[in-house]
Amino acid sequence: MIYVKHLKKSFGENTVLESIDFSVQKGEVVCLIGASGSGKTTLLRCLNLLELPNYGSITIGDQAVNFSGKKLEKKELKELRKYSGMVFQGFHLFPHKTVIENIIEAPLIVQRRKRDSLVIEGEKLLKKVGMFEHKDKYPDSLSGGQQQRAAIARSLMMNPEVLLFDEPTSALDPQLVREVLRVIEALAKEGQTMVIVTHEMNFAKRVADKVFFMDEGYIVESGNAKDVLETPKKQRTKEFLQLLSE
Amino acid sequence: MIEWFKNIQWEHLYDPQLAWDSLPFLLDAAKITIFIALISMFFALILGLFLAMARMSNFWFLRWPARIYISFMRGTPLLVFLFILYYGLPVIGIQFDSPITAGIVGISLNFAAYNAEVIRSALMSVSRGQWESAAALQMGYWQTMRRIIIPQATRIALPPTFNIFLDVVKGTSLASVITVHELLYGAHLIAGRTYESMTMYITAALIYWVICIIIGHFQERLEKRYNRYLNKT
Repeated sequence: MIYVKHLKKSFGENTVLESIDFSVQKGEVVCLIGASGSGKTTLLRCLNLLELPNYGSITIGDQAVNFSGKKLEKKELKELRKYSGMVFQGFHLFPHKTVIENIIEAPLIVQRRKRDSLVIEGEKLLKKVGMFEHKDKYPDSLSGGQQQRAAIARSLMMNPEVLLFDEPTSALDPQLVREVLRVIEALAKEGQTMVIVTHEMNFAKRVADKVFFMDEGYIVESGNAKDVLETPKKQRTKEFLQLLSE
Repeated sequence: MIEWFKNIQWEHLYDPQLAWDSLPFLLDAAKITIFIALISMFFALILGLFLAMARMSNFWFLRWPARIYISFMRGTPLLVFLFILYYGLPVIGIQFDSPITAGIVGISLNFAAYNAEVIRSALMSVSRGQWESAAALQMGYWQTMRRIIIPQATRIALPPTFNIFLDVVKGTSLASVITVHELLYGAHLIAGRTYESMTMYITAALIYWVICIIIGHFQERLEKRYNRYLNKT
């Protein structure tokens, strides 16, 4: 499903990702963990091409893009982006559109699908994430948890092969975290392929098939979620998990 | 103080009968004022949008001319610019067919610079996250601009744009110096004939005020419409 090879990303002289190699199989849930500044979010943004890597290649589904040196065609990037959906830490719903308008906007404009069928499909998705009764509300009148669930539904409307989550609960009050995590867990049970940047270790234990621990731009340790989180092999992973448990 | 009070020419302070009799003539002149203001603002907005885009462009050959143009227009008085257009350009063989055309061109070109800055700052104030979420949803640049950024920027730009519009309305009075028969020019004509300057200029000021009140009312309605999504169900 996802194959990342020798990925490298720098901002000026500051290298934030170095020699990243990993793969994610269809239906797998991968959690990226690590301290702030370790490169987790940059890696996720590279998968969605919000950041362009300097070197290496990314393959998602049937689309492979090689970043080594050559200038990329817009079409190539657009094709790769088709396979993934992104859920942001700050939700980024369109504030001037109601929840249902947010949900149908991209398929209406990008995929040029019919509004009526999109509304029916959108309402089904909103029921699934528990947001149906808020469909005609504007984002500004919703809680953070509700906005995040709407944002998840918005990404799902584009039928992505893989859903990318960038710390989906970090901007939420503790009591709102659970409602979002429940939706993500339900998606995991349905077999949705997901890559999730998170600091919620208990959630990662419950939902992840694999966990990658990142530090200073490298994937330091990766493997089965239980193994990495409960019996880490690398010293840096141990230290990070120890810090979190204190 | 008492001397000053005694010297006031009360009979020339305000003559309601003259104001009333002059009203049809002044309202006709006000139509010209409104016409010039509307047309000028329309062109100033369109040109302002292009200037704003050029100013934000990655290409220096678009960015720099826009920057210089905006700086020049904001840094020179409208009156001077109107003189250059109307009395200066004939020197190089460019002559406007009427003072109104010269007025519209001058006001449009001048206020486009102010609009450009308002539009640019409004576009830039829409959060980067909006661009990113649209990109993640596979929307292209123009789709994002049209459907996501411009509607949000419009809400932000409305109050300053209407401020500019009010300035345009009042700025049309400067066109009287290039013999455009607008409201101030009309008031000036009657004042010259009757020597009732105070009456005529106060009446003209009141008409400008009414026009601006109507525009202000329109602004409120538009703002309400564009603000409907803020903290409402």
